[in-house]
Amino acid sequence: MTRLLPLALLVVLALLPLGLKDPYLLNALITTGIFTIGAMSLNLLLGYTGQLSLGHIAFFGIGAYVSALTSLGFDVGLPFGLRVTHEGWPPAAGFLLAVLIAGLCGYVVGRLSFRVRGAYFVIVTISFAEVVRLVALNWIELTQGPLALTSIPFMTLGLPGLGEMTFRTKIQNYYLVLGVATLSYLLIARLVGSRFGRAMRGLKENEPLALSVGVDATRTLTIAATVSAAMAGAAGSLYAHYIRIIDPDVFLFSYTVTMVIMVVAGGKGTLVGPVIGGLIFGLLPVALRPVMAPEAQWIVYGATLIVILFVMPRGIAPALAALGLPKRAPAAPKPEPARASS
Amino acid sequence: MDQLLQHLVNALVLGGTYALLGIGLTLIFGIMNVVNFTHGALYTVGAYAMYIAAVGLGMNFFVALPVAVVAGLALGALIEFTLLRPLRGADIDTTMLVMIGAGIVLQSGALWIFGGVAKAVPSPFPDAPLQILGASVSWLRIFVFLAALTLIVSAYALINGTRLGRAMRATFQDHDTAALMGVNVSLIYTATFALGSSLAAAAGALLGPVYVVFPQMGDLAAVKAFAIVILGGLGSITGATIGGFALALAEEFGAGYVSSGYRDAMGFLIIIAVLLVKPTGLFARAERIG
Amino acid sequence: MSTTTRLASLAALTLALMAGPAVAADTIKIGVNEPLTGAFAASGTYVVNGAKIAADEINAKGGVLGKKIELVIEDNKSNPTEAAAVAEKLITSDKTPVLMGAWGSSLTLAVMPKLEEYEVPMLVETSSSGKITTSGNPFVFRISPPSALEAASFAPMVKKIGLKKVDFLVINNDWGRGAAGDFAKMLKAEGVEVGLTETMDQAAQDMSAQLSKLKSSDADTIMMTTSVDQLTLLFKQMAALGIKKRVITTGGSQNPDQIIAQAGAAAEGTMHLTTFLPWAPEKTPDPAATKYFLAEWKARGHQFAGATESFRGYDGIRSIAAAIEKAGSAEPAAITKAFWDVKMTGLNGPIAFAKSGPEGKESGQSKPTVYLIKIADGAVSEVAL
Repeated sequence: MTRLLPLALLVVLALLPLGLKDPYLLNALITTGIFTIGAMSLNLLLGYTGQLSLGHIAFFGIGAYVSALTSLGFDVGLPFGLRVTHEGWPPAAGFLLAVLIAGLCGYVVGRLSFRVRGAYFVIVTISFAEVVRLVALNWIELTQGPLALTSIPFMTLGLPGLGEMTFRTKIQNYYLVLGVATLSYLLIARLVGSRFGRAMRGLKENEPLALSVGVDATRTLTIAATVSAAMAGAAGSLYAHYIRIIDPDVFLFSYTVTMVIMVVAGGKGTLVGPVIGGLIFGLLPVALRPVMAPEAQWIVYGATLIVILFVMPRGIAPALAALGLPKRAPAAPKPEPARASS
Repeated sequence: MDQLLQHLVNALVLGGTYALLGIGLTLIFGIMNVVNFTHGALYTVGAYAMYIAAVGLGMNFFVALPVAVVAGLALGALIEFTLLRPLRGADIDTTMLVMIGAGIVLQSGALWIFGGVAKAVPSPFPDAPLQILGASVSWLRIFVFLAALTLIVSAYALINGTRLGRAMRATFQDHDTAALMGVNVSLIYTATFALGSSLAAAAGALLGPVYVVFPQMGDLAAVKAFAIVILGGLGSITGATIGGFALALAEEFGAGYVSSGYRDAMGFLIIIAVLLVKPTGLFARAERIG
Repeated sequence: MSTTTRLASLAALTLALMAGPAVAADTIKIGVNEPLTGAFAASGTYVVNGAKIAADEINAKGGVLGKKIELVIEDNKSNPTEAAAVAEKLITSDKTPVLMGAWGSSLTLAVMPKLEEYEVPMLVETSSSGKITTSGNPFVFRISPPSALEAASFAPMVKKIGLKKVDFLVINNDWGRGAAGDFAKMLKAEGVEVGLTETMDQAAQDMSAQLSKLKSSDADTIMMTTSVDQLTLLFKQMAALGIKKRVITTGGSQNPDQIIAQAGAAAEGTMHLTTFLPWAPEKTPDPAATKYFLAEWKARGHQFAGATESFRGYDGIRSIAAAIEKAGSAEPAAITKAFWDVKMTGLNGPIAFAKSGPEGKESGQSKPTVYLIKIADGAVSEVAL
């Protein structure tokens, strides 16, 4: 079940464009896919280490801006009379830099903020995202602020033997997003299954115990935060080169909320949870759009969220797993302690 | 000099309302361990209740205020009873997400019922401001400031001087022991959430006439409330009060003397700085980690 | 489950549509991409309500090219990602040959790559960012003035009002920043001194800090650019702070009636640059049309204050209908071409598109009339200069 479901999902998703020619739905699937990558990266922190980051969109947005600026070029003055001028590089370089710089930011934020836990960590991450948004809004010389970065080029990829490929059409972007999502999934699966993954879960379930057996809490959490941020940065880069315009709205708090909904409703701390949650909550607005008034769509969206959590407090994926395996495998996550860290 | 004094007066008046926003959230956060994402929506509900009572039903301004507060109290109790009580024991992320869902429903409901166009609640006070040493401040803001202080002091007295308050504090410190000692923890939770909600609604009802009333007004208020709570430390009314004034001062002087574009960043920068130096907030009692 | 069914049914629908143009449409569809929920819900709803009046009026007169027009209205949730998705839906699922949208500049900019992708034209009714018509997108036709145009229209009035030194207080987005930049440039050219530029967050409700700073500046005038709700708050807070400087607002979304109703005496003496005069229909370029629009607006139970926003939706749909009529067919390419030939009188002046932006890929920009009005004794009057 746990092995077959993701594979079946991948096959279905890979074959979907062959039968689905509607560009609107493809577009919805692509943006859903991009935010699902964001949700998977958030799950690494939220689901496996138990640290709730409500500023995750910061890394997504940093990735988007880094990638866009790398490919567009910029000319910016710095303190002490310094000036940095950058000519545009290929978008693939932007993607790599987006991953690196978002990861670096994740490392720094992780180093600083893992001195606090629980609700305090939540607020530090919100604060970080707000500050980054305000910098993007006000550092006009670099980011053009609210005037937006426009005409961001399509993603291009130089493949050995195949020449350069430009991701212009929806089908191409669909497979690009699916590819990055699959790689992210495999990376997370690998990480979670390793010794490092056990250290993360140990910290989540019983921090004093994990510490006593020699787990380095700050180091473990910082690595998780770095990988998570780098992955969110990759998603941000895909977003920038697909939508092709970004402005400080890319840091909207509602995007973080969307990702948290995808993770928690899908099933945090499970590999397929964010994917299932991502598909449901990414496509739900698409399904609701033709049926009812705009305000009612939001009400149903909120109510669906409440109902899912009432019926399946630990999310959809664990509930499905429990259906498939009446006898709980020993590896299944234990119920949470009533009072989580605060 | 004039400008400095004016900024100080502004900060004082703004700080009172920030503190009021903060204490409702900090109570729920501290006692129930719930990240209350309906706080902003309850603030909005309070403002709309004020609008309905004062403009729709034509009530006197000072009668409409308590009506709005009671509306918040009732709605808070309802939310606790229907949404939070069945989820007791679920983890903090699940309840937080349910609160996000409820917040979306409330805000979209307000948009659906009232539309997006902002409503105004007329003020019963004279338009001409009070002048003190070159600084000026409107009578309505002075009233709001005094009302906020009264509410804060009452909440403080309730928590520290009554049996209910003692039970709340006991639940905050150790809810298992409190339950063993005969405290009805379920009742305490409902009371806490209703109290916190009524304070949010009171803030909305007081600020609705100062600003304007519209469906998204709670978003920014919620963000500020979170900032204030974390500055002051979880569960501390004194902390939230000081946090409220500190945030107002930082914003006021940040915008006045640094850059208005970064006005809203000031609070967050302070939070980051505070948490790096003193990770449990400025005024929190020592709390266990993990 | 239901998602799968939906996907399947939509896929089937798409196949049916792709089978050929045999599905003879007896209406001409116009896609409307506006914020109906989220931060800009109020304004987007006004524009849509104006658009509906135009559609009903045109249909009552027999429609366009012998067919009725049909508005396909979609909510972009005040979110750029959604605005792009809505454009995709309108163009590919609903097969609308022309769009109107998308209120804010970041929403409009997010839609623009889609227009190029599918070569479908869009009439831009509200956005003011210069980038919309200068980035080389030949499918964009705008009837709202970018701030540079508004500033240029204001230039001849500067000396007559007697401005000496001006501070700016603007919303911190493309609209406010753009206005501050363009007006400052114009004022300097006119020999007026330019002082501080203060900004406020789009959601901010307390601007006392910014206003206190402006209070102690030596400028005689504050120019403000923001939404009507923030303007109302600004006037109230200025009164509370005892600021008595000349105020001129720009941007054309001021709804002076809402300001008078909500800010009361605090709005006395303020001046506003606007592109529509609903309180003096006889002074508008097409008084009959203005009176019809206002009567219909009232008959539908909408607030009068919304008219300064909704008239753009009304004019937008009428311009689109004119383009379709000229094109002689409801095909995107023909409509795009026909937009250049549109010549009509809108509620705020002549609508005709001039070329703007890089050569060969120009966007269309119409130049509306700009009026300066003043609130005095609780009423609106045009400032005669």
